[in-house]
Amino acid sequence: VVLDAENGMPVPSANVIEKGTSNGVLTNFDGEFSIQVPAESILVFSYIGYATKEVQVNGRTEIEVSFEPEAAALQEVIVVGYGTQRKADLTGAVSVVDMESMNRQPSPQVSEQLQGQASGVTVTSSGQPGEPPQVRIRGINTFGDSSPLYVVDGVPTQDINYLNPNDIANMQVLKDAGSASIYGARAANGVIIITTKKGSGDLKVNYNGYYGTQMVPKGNVYDILSPQGHADIRWAAMENTNPGEPITDRQYGSGAQPTLPYYILPGGASQGEVDESNYFVDPNYTESGAVNGFNQIIRANQQGTNWFQEIFNDAPIMNHDISVSQGGEKGNFLFSLNYMDQDGTLKNTFFERYTARVNSQFNISDNFRVGENIAFALSNGNRVAVTGENPINHAYRSQPIIPVYDIAGNFAGTQAPSLGNSQNAAAILERNRNNFSKTSRVFGNIFAELDFLENFTARTSFGGSYSNTNGQVFNYPTYENAENTTYNQLTENAFTGYNWTWSNTLQYQNNFNELHDVTVLVGTEAFHNQYEEVSALTQGYYSFDPDYVNLSTGAGTQTNSGFYTEDALFSVFGRLDYTFNERYLLGATLRRDATSRFTNPRDGWFPAVSAGWRISEEAFMDDVSWIDELKLRGGYGVMGNQNNVDPANAFTTYGASRVSSYYDINGSNNSILEGFLRSRIGNPNASWEKNINANIGIDVNLFNSKLQVSADYYRKDVVDLLYNPELTGTAGVSTAPYVNIAEMKNSGLDLSATAYFDFTSELQMNTTLTLTTFENEIVNIADGVSYFDQEARRFNGSSIVRNAVGHSVGQFHGYNIVGFWDSQEEVDAANQEAQNALNNPEAEYQSDIGVGRFRYEDINGDGVITSDDRTFLGNPNPDFSGGLNIEFTYKNWDFSTFLYGVYGNDIWNQVKWWHDFYSSFNGAKSNTALYDSWTPTNQNATAPIQETGGSFSTANVPNSYFVEDGSYLRVRNIQLGYSLPNTILDKVGLDRLRLYVQGANLFTITNYSGVDPELTGSATAFGIDEGAYPTPKQIILGINLSL
Amino acid sequence: EDFLDKPAYGALSDEVLADEKGIEALLIGAYAALDGQDVVNGGTVALGGGNGWEATPSNWIYGDITGGDAHKGSDGGDQPPINAIATYSVDASNGFFNTKWKALYEGVTRTNAVLRLLSEAEDITEESRANLAGQARFLRGHYYFELKKMFNMVPWIDENTENTNIPNDTDIWPNIEADFKFAYENLPATQDEVGRANSWAAGAYLGKTYLYQGKSNEAKNIFTEVINSGVTSNGLSYGLVDNFNHNFNAEFENNEESVFAIQMVANDGTNTIGNSNQALMLAYPYNSPFRCCGFYQPTQDLVNSYRTDEANGLPYIDNYNNNPVKNDMGILSDEPFSPDTQSLDPRLDWTVGRREVPYHDWGYHPGYDWIREQSSGGPYAPKKHIYWQYHADTYSDQSAWAPGNAINVNVIRFADVLLMAAEAEARTGNLNTALEYVNLVRGRMVDNPGNWLKDYIDPENPLDGFSDQYAANYNIERFPDGYFTSEEQAMEVIMYERRIELAMEGHRFFDLVRWGVAEEVLNNYIEYEGQITTDVRGGDFNSNDGYFPIPQRQIDLSTTAEGPVLQQNPGY
Repeated sequence: VVLDAENGMPVPSANVIEKGTSNGVLTNFDGEFSIQVPAESILVFSYIGYATKEVQVNGRTEIEVSFEPEAAALQEVIVVGYGTQRKADLTGAVSVVDMESMNRQPSPQVSEQLQGQASGVTVTSSGQPGEPPQVRIRGINTFGDSSPLYVVDGVPTQDINYLNPNDIANMQVLKDAGSASIYGARAANGVIIITTKKGSGDLKVNYNGYYGTQMVPKGNVYDILSPQGHADIRWAAMENTNPGEPITDRQYGSGAQPTLPYYILPGGASQGEVDESNYFVDPNYTESGAVNGFNQIIRANQQGTNWFQEIFNDAPIMNHDISVSQGGEKGNFLFSLNYMDQDGTLKNTFFERYTARVNSQFNISDNFRVGENIAFALSNGNRVAVTGENPINHAYRSQPIIPVYDIAGNFAGTQAPSLGNSQNAAAILERNRNNFSKTSRVFGNIFAELDFLENFTARTSFGGSYSNTNGQVFNYPTYENAENTTYNQLTENAFTGYNWTWSNTLQYQNNFNELHDVTVLVGTEAFHNQYEEVSALTQGYYSFDPDYVNLSTGAGTQTNSGFYTEDALFSVFGRLDYTFNERYLLGATLRRDATSRFTNPRDGWFPAVSAGWRISEEAFMDDVSWIDELKLRGGYGVMGNQNNVDPANAFTTYGASRVSSYYDINGSNNSILEGFLRSRIGNPNASWEKNINANIGIDVNLFNSKLQVSADYYRKDVVDLLYNPELTGTAGVSTAPYVNIAEMKNSGLDLSATAYFDFTSELQMNTTLTLTTFENEIVNIADGVSYFDQEARRFNGSSIVRNAVGHSVGQFHGYNIVGFWDSQEEVDAANQEAQNALNNPEAEYQSDIGVGRFRYEDINGDGVITSDDRTFLGNPNPDFSGGLNIEFTYKNWDFSTFLYGVYGNDIWNQVKWWHDFYSSFNGAKSNTALYDSWTPTNQNATAPIQETGGSFSTANVPNSYFVEDGSYLRVRNIQLGYSLPNTILDKVGLDRLRLYVQGANLFTITNYSGVDPELTGSATAFGIDEGAYPTPKQIILGINLSL
Repeated sequence: EDFLDKPAYGALSDEVLADEKGIEALLIGAYAALDGQDVVNGGTVALGGGNGWEATPSNWIYGDITGGDAHKGSDGGDQPPINAIATYSVDASNGFFNTKWKALYEGVTRTNAVLRLLSEAEDITEESRANLAGQARFLRGHYYFELKKMFNMVPWIDENTENTNIPNDTDIWPNIEADFKFAYENLPATQDEVGRANSWAAGAYLGKTYLYQGKSNEAKNIFTEVINSGVTSNGLSYGLVDNFNHNFNAEFENNEESVFAIQMVANDGTNTIGNSNQALMLAYPYNSPFRCCGFYQPTQDLVNSYRTDEANGLPYIDNYNNNPVKNDMGILSDEPFSPDTQSLDPRLDWTVGRREVPYHDWGYHPGYDWIREQSSGGPYAPKKHIYWQYHADTYSDQSAWAPGNAINVNVIRFADVLLMAAEAEARTGNLNTALEYVNLVRGRMVDNPGNWLKDYIDPENPLDGFSDQYAANYNIERFPDGYFTSEEQAMEVIMYERRIELAMEGHRFFDLVRWGVAEEVLNNYIEYEGQITTDVRGGDFNSNDGYFPIPQRQIDLSTTAEGPVLQQNPGY
């Protein structure tokens, strides 16, 4: 029997020949064969896509042969831009994704599964179901959108969230100019080419399904103080701030020690003091003033509410996938259905999706084929904002003395005085329960291919997508919070996107004299895209019943808004691949794009050349038998990016805004009159970002392809980077135009290595390591502009992130803490030095200097801390990231594990701002704040002295207190499977039945103190944790079944 | 080519706007920038970014907190950049100034757009042209006046400026003066819409411009005309309204005292408070019917300045802190407290909310419970911009996380004109006229005791109205004839009267600076107030603190190969 060494599946139709003879047979469907040969003969096994293997018969009557598909890697045909290439002939930097390994990650999102599977690709995702992960190929290439271009069955798109991972046949990542630049103006962020499955062979029915549970961390996740601890820290802070002054508090009474109240509303009341029968709250009130008449009564939760656990729960995940396929001479088809349902661990968040696909091809004649690939996806989800004020943020801000519910079962909250201004996170999520966002999307193409004159193939493909998202949010009035919203409103929105791409290519392929292999391809492509938004809002509902509420049933103000945009591209392109004598490879591509986004000029050229040398094919390598393949590759070219500019960038425009340009010139007190403002300053001369890329790579297969290594080093100079330098305030606040002014450079190393070990014929192992490193440096931003800052968060006016020339994007910036001021003498001495240095008797070393507060480093050594002493505190870009996949097969068992790690990145832990400083709003505080803050007797502390007010020398400015090492290693996946033996399967008429159990994200090794070190963000500001949605652990049972 | 020709969707070009209708709409846009506010994705922001309140048109941060009339309030860790502003320890990177700067220059930009298109447009009558240009230049004068008093040296951008990155090396008072003069000479006395500037508003502003430059004679002349002949845009002769509070009540605004006001609306159909006094959204008592956020709390020093002499109803100009008004610091709301019983100026309780005194028709201010952190913000609440409960449905707007309201922001009201005129008269030696103007302002209170704050008929039901019992022991009289004996003494009295009349209206700090007394007054204030609250402790005003820093961000943005175009003010 002939089996595939990788998956143990039988290899049908393989050639079995007695060496040196013409005696041969083919294997049958089950990989079995039967041949008459002398006992000492040698059998030669061969099959397209597998390495030819010779086996000594040695008198055996049964022979099992494992075919090594990996050796076939060289023969493997790879889909590249507008065509295919043998892997051996590749000259560009292309990562081929191992679909099987990738598909093991239980996620609805293809892009999330991609994490760690391909070198040069970094993926960060949130724990929230349906949240699109952030995909970066070779780092950050622009200040704007750094997402790659996806090409699905030849149709470019920016969004693959609708894709059913099981529908994907193969996936290639084009990373350098040599491979990607044929996509011209959209290639700069890299291109991911996805081909969906086709039917082949006999009628097959496959079913894959899994069901599992997702779990969140248990316990006191944020290390929050007990209710008594909160009372104590209030006393400590009051005493530190106003030593000796009497302390009074609405909740904890007055005196030397705080006492926990029985009721927190009315504040600080004791048991028996409140007549609970006077309770009155109408949670569904409709008059904005009604809340003032409520008499809410809330008992203290003296044991403490664990707000994290109140909003996070274990949640199910399941997936069912069924496909039917068949293929033959006349054509092929595949039909698949998928249902994916993932509940979020955060209450009432979820993502579910139905996908149906029909792929078919009809071979009308020997040389003419038509076909289509089409998918329809329906998804529904409910998500919370990943950053900013979200329920997670409110949960960790809420003091534990606040119960979830008041005495009547309505929500409790900071309506109870002096307990801060957080909102009841459980209430937010409960009120969020009927909100949704539903998307339907059709994506696909139809194509026709004609072979003619022997060497020519013409292909035309028309494809695109139509998608519609509609969402609904109902805002309930609140009554339990310190800062209530007293209105109710319904918001509905609809986003409609429509685009099409029409591609036509003509390919010529020929081989001359068995030496010159030439492929020439020319083509044109037109792309049209339009997008429309409609949004409407109504307030004032009599009843909040979801069955009643729609946009026309509210009595209050109605508003609506709309948006429309359109853009287009027209391109011509060509590629030439030339191979001389199987060893010298040359590739060249050229594309000319003309776009609607630019006017002067409208078009641009994107050339690339690449070359390869298969050293192993040279005669002098014949004796080096342990090297199967040794290839050097290099490429150079230009890729473009036009994403980072608004379609209206070229125009100076005027517009109206009801809030900022309308005015009540009549003094009516309730109506406004239309006015205009200049909304945008145009730049007709904007053009593409140009990504000038040089790549050098090496591919090595050793020891009969037991070890395969591929490494690439690259350098990218991104010039004419589009940036909209903030205009001076004197120019007004119109949207500033994007201009081609900035510059950055990237370099890095991508490495992947795969090794196969056959310990015995029954125990096999293979392992793949991918490693990605990149270094990014901003070379220029704009004339006179050496940096731009982002993310002020709670530091109004000063920012956490500085993108500066000479540094990578996204670096953290602020004051560096070198210790505490341990005594007044230290303070005085430092001030004295500052006074001497500045010759100013009133000078202070640093603003708000004080004992127990942070001492900042005097970076420029001028004796005083000024804004010039801010420095770079950390870098959210990792030194490297990598994935390690290990698979074992033993008889019918298989085991695999996948590890993913990131090393050398920093995280800005903004949660500490809320928790470790009493002054940062009166919310939940950490054990660190009370038990490990500076006091005269605890000078070796973590946090500074706790005070009622924040200051420059504590938490009012970004400083190094918040920066932590974000490295982590995560066991993304462990899977153990068992395939039923053929003997049993035959009896029940099955081809394959495999059962497996798996655990995802079970362990994470990190020094990071927050909930999850995996954090997303924008291209230029990321790695900031202000309440991340943690990636859940998952335990899953699954089944793979074929008939 | 057609396939690739895509216009800018949903927008207009300037050619479309270059007619009377278009210019008129641009002018409305120029008025709309007066409040400096925008809303982006439902969030409150200033024009050009930053939090809305940072661009406050009423200057509650830059004029009152800095001027010793108000604390930041709230809790110590909230809006920390204001802590630095309140203690005169700001550095140029404080984002508040950048926000205010950008919002004001957006105002300038919009007025320039009007003037530029006006010069290109044809078929506009001379009358309309003068009116449109006059309003645009009035507004531009206002925006630059704000810039001038805050930052002193600022670049002048007008409709002819092509390169907007120009130095701030020239005093722009003459340009501001020219704008107001043009507006004064070209605007009609009345307008079809009350929100528009008229010639008399321009005249008053021109007088103010003179006064800030110390041009007392010019100021006196124009103020005299304004006082004698001035009318509002809707044709009312300037005068003082009988009820002081009507200046701060949406129902009675645009009255004869309103010289120029920023028109605010509520429930304007936007479902935002972007046009509804958004910049004051933080400035309501906390844990109260207003919900948010406990900022902008009057100081004890201000409250004390309303103390009057029981015997003659006159203030204690030199030593008002000697007999402080009783407060409820450290006393919980359920603990007993009885308010001050000594003689007070009735304007106090229209300006400041204090415990056990009717807070409009919302009930007695409960003290501690409505204050977020007494130890840093003190015991008081603001009042002038607080809407009435009986108006809540009409003049408040509850469509954001904090309230908005329809109460106009008074840029200049007639009492202000009178007190400015009094200054000009005193400076030019006309002490009796000066005293006459001051007494006009005091006389409004003296003559209308019926409009002093009264106690509730039923404290349990404040909406039932007010009894005829005064809410406190009020006592105010005019200064006696001949009270002004020297320019210096007259100025001292005028300065004091100006504080208590216009407190919490954004003037105080700028007045102190132009009078040259800021250092002494403010350091005294810090010393006194610092004994009561922690927020201002360590504050120190020095002579350079009279102008705020040119925003560092703007200096950075102005930098070219030759270095920064904008120069920083001294001391930063």
